[in-house]
Amino acid sequence: MDKKSFSQHISRQYNEDLEHIITRVMTMGGLVEQQLEAALDALVDGDQAKGEQVVTSDYRINAMEVELDEACTNVLARRQPTASDLRLIVAVIKTITDLERIGDEAERVGRMALHLLEEDRRRSPMAEISALGEQIKGMVRGALDVFARMDAEQAVRVAQEDIKADAQYDSIIRHLVNDLENNPKSVPPVLDIVWATRSLERIGDRSRNICEYVVYFVRGKDVRHTSFEQMAEEATGDRH
Amino acid sequence: METEVKNTTSAGAATMAQKVETLPSERQTATPEVKMSASDLNLWYGDTQALHDINLDMYAREVTALIGPSGCGKSTFLRCLNRMNDLIPQVHIKGNVMLEGEDIYDPSVDVVQLRTFVGMVFQKPNPFPKSIYENIAYAPRLHGTGTSRSELDDLVESSLKRAGLWNEVADRLDTPGTELSGGQQQRLCIARAIAVNPEVILMDEPASALDPLATATVEELIHELKDNYTIVIVTHNLQQAARVAGYTAFFHMGRIVEVNDTDTLFTNPKEQRTEDYITGRFG
Amino acid sequence: MQRRLTGSANDPLIRARYRRESRFKAYSITALFVAFAIIVAFFTDIISQGYSAFWRAEIEVTLDYNERAERIGRFAIPEDLREIVSRGAVRSIPLQIRNNPALAGTSRTEWVPVYSRIDQYLKGKEELPPALVRQVDELKAAGVIRTTFNWAFFTSGDSKLPELAGIFSAAVGSLLVLAVTLVFAFPIGVMSAIYLEEFAPDNKLTQAIEVNINNLAAVPSIIFGLLGLAVFINTFGVPRSSALVGGLTLGLMTLPIIIISTRAALRAVPDPIRLGAFAMGCSRWQVVRDHVLPLSLPGILTGTIIGLAQAMGETAPLIIVGMIAYIPEAPTSIFESATVLPAQVFTWASEPRKAFVEKTAAGIIVLLAILLTLNATAVFLRRKFERRW
Repeated sequence: MDKKSFSQHISRQYNEDLEHIITRVMTMGGLVEQQLEAALDALVDGDQAKGEQVVTSDYRINAMEVELDEACTNVLARRQPTASDLRLIVAVIKTITDLERIGDEAERVGRMALHLLEEDRRRSPMAEISALGEQIKGMVRGALDVFARMDAEQAVRVAQEDIKADAQYDSIIRHLVNDLENNPKSVPPVLDIVWATRSLERIGDRSRNICEYVVYFVRGKDVRHTSFEQMAEEATGDRH
Repeated sequence: METEVKNTTSAGAATMAQKVETLPSERQTATPEVKMSASDLNLWYGDTQALHDINLDMYAREVTALIGPSGCGKSTFLRCLNRMNDLIPQVHIKGNVMLEGEDIYDPSVDVVQLRTFVGMVFQKPNPFPKSIYENIAYAPRLHGTGTSRSELDDLVESSLKRAGLWNEVADRLDTPGTELSGGQQQRLCIARAIAVNPEVILMDEPASALDPLATATVEELIHELKDNYTIVIVTHNLQQAARVAGYTAFFHMGRIVEVNDTDTLFTNPKEQRTEDYITGRFG
Repeated sequence: MQRRLTGSANDPLIRARYRRESRFKAYSITALFVAFAIIVAFFTDIISQGYSAFWRAEIEVTLDYNERAERIGRFAIPEDLREIVSRGAVRSIPLQIRNNPALAGTSRTEWVPVYSRIDQYLKGKEELPPALVRQVDELKAAGVIRTTFNWAFFTSGDSKLPELAGIFSAAVGSLLVLAVTLVFAFPIGVMSAIYLEEFAPDNKLTQAIEVNINNLAAVPSIIFGLLGLAVFINTFGVPRSSALVGGLTLGLMTLPIIIISTRAALRAVPDPIRLGAFAMGCSRWQVVRDHVLPLSLPGILTGTIIGLAQAMGETAPLIIVGMIAYIPEAPTSIFESATVLPAQVFTWASEPRKAFVEKTAAGIIVLLAILLTLNATAVFLRRKFERRW
């Protein structure tokens, strides 16, 4: 599928509407990336300013979701899109929902980072958390990249990164559970870290969702709740 | 936990995926019964070939929509199904069209009889300039299927009821059909077609001359008629095809580019040309 | 504020445009006025000349069925009135006496027409010798001469005596001729048109036929007269001067008009009606009979009436087939010699006697009235049965 195909309608206004929606989704994605970056900085480096910035900026992402929802509703009402246009709009509506949730999760990470500033962070597995953070950041960037280029094959590769993220998450949780068993007094800070890690893991899942929407848009196949093998098959094989 | 489902039980995921896959086919009857089918149908207007190797099955008690740009041959094909093209000089046809195993182009087939099995409704409502009653009673009287006054009365009433027009015209059956509103006229034409008790109803853009409300009533009628008749409809209105048809065939330059169930054709067409057409990318 | 919509006030181009427009309008109005003036002048002239023919002077005389009158009718009239009473009025007296001998020797008083010159004098159209003028004036003052509506103009045939000449025989002739024309041309014309329009394939042959029919409608009518002479009289031996030969000749002339107007009426029936009928399983003939013909009938009738009206006004071809004869008695069958209204007008117009001038004009008035009535009927039919679909 030509990733620019949505700009070849006879109706120029339609092209502009769709292009505008795509551009805004990318802007929203950029904002989400910034939030995630700042939240990780706050969590890993204990940067208070960034933590506060994350908490106070989430409304911008929410506002963009509302705006994009409206734009999509308008296209549905005015254009009655079909085929790839319809799949694009459906994918966008779902993508922005996930982006908004990623924003929420980033906000939670920021909030937990602010909590942790008042706690003893030395015992936390910060190196591992930082590594998970980088992995997740990579996935979000990858998902946005896949969305921008509407590249189904790349989408599978990015989605598969989720396996690695889940493994890292499991390892961190195990570490923290160990820590709690050994040192029951550290419950409050550990819980904060569990929440933050959990949020990061969820961001990974949502990035994977976005990749699945791209596969749906490009191939017309719903690959949610399927194995990676099936997803790869649908994404790379001939159409149908 | 979600992660675990995704990672560990791929077998379970596969079953789920299968279930998702089977959903659309569950909506259709197991093996649809083919009512009419065209095979390798070619048609020429003089030296110009208008239809190329058309192969299309039309299923019983289903609506099959024919879509495509102007001049793509969809109306020409529709008219092949009750041999209306016979009226145009210089048309010649190769290939065949089967109506339940009978080739309607067989030399022994009587066209007049064929048309009582395959009725037709036209783009512009064309009630005869006679009373509503006469519009419907005309053909049954002609074909001898209704002879006595009481038989005809019953037939007129049942046809109008099936066409959803009875309540609106019951008290003025003697007024000219041409005095009804556009949507009513079209439903009268449908009632007129039904009165002959056909098995297949062909509709050539039946709502293109109607306003949206009248269109909606006609579409609703098509939806109801589907239970008893095989309907083939030509339409320029893609949304209309999407709304009323179970199967959709996309015609382009005298060929069928793609046939599929309507859901698939409108969400995920196989062919790029279909995609371009239904999303408005022809230019 | 700068006003931009003042137009001609300050734009020479717009002014010039309006000037051209009003000049063109003035030309058109002038043309219309000239045409209208000609028509008014024509009607004024004809009516002013002709209206007097619908009146005639009568005189009250005592008819004496004496012995001399048994041989010559004039002798039934008092001697001093013999110059005044129409000779034609008493011409039949010998016959009356012969048929009814009881009349002999009796006398009775009757209103009879006056001699045409007296009639013309009373209408102020002719001079008379002074003595006669005095006598007529006296009779008129005494109420013995009166002016009444000239029923005889409508009820009697042609006559050499202007005061007795009427249009009855010509009118009957016209009627018979038109009946023959209608019976001959209508079925053939309508059937041909139906075949050409609804059944015939569109090929070189039918196109050639169509072109020829259109050309036929433009052939000068006298050619049809020659054709009628050659074919009907010389070949088939149809009686010369008869309504039959006249009607057939006019039928030939009317045929293309009926065919063309019928085809136009058939073509005006919208195709969806035909398609709808075909889709119901109608055969071609059922489509034509049940749907096309009922819808096109008003148009066909209109065309036919206009064709007949044209035939009715036609003279030249009828002269060729001999329908210009002197016919005092109305024909009783289509095989008898007959004349038609325009031919009668033509005959009267070539009469030198002054009294025939008003007869000619009156004949024209009657002819025009009939033609206008026919055309009005055509318009009425078209209006009344015009279908909206």
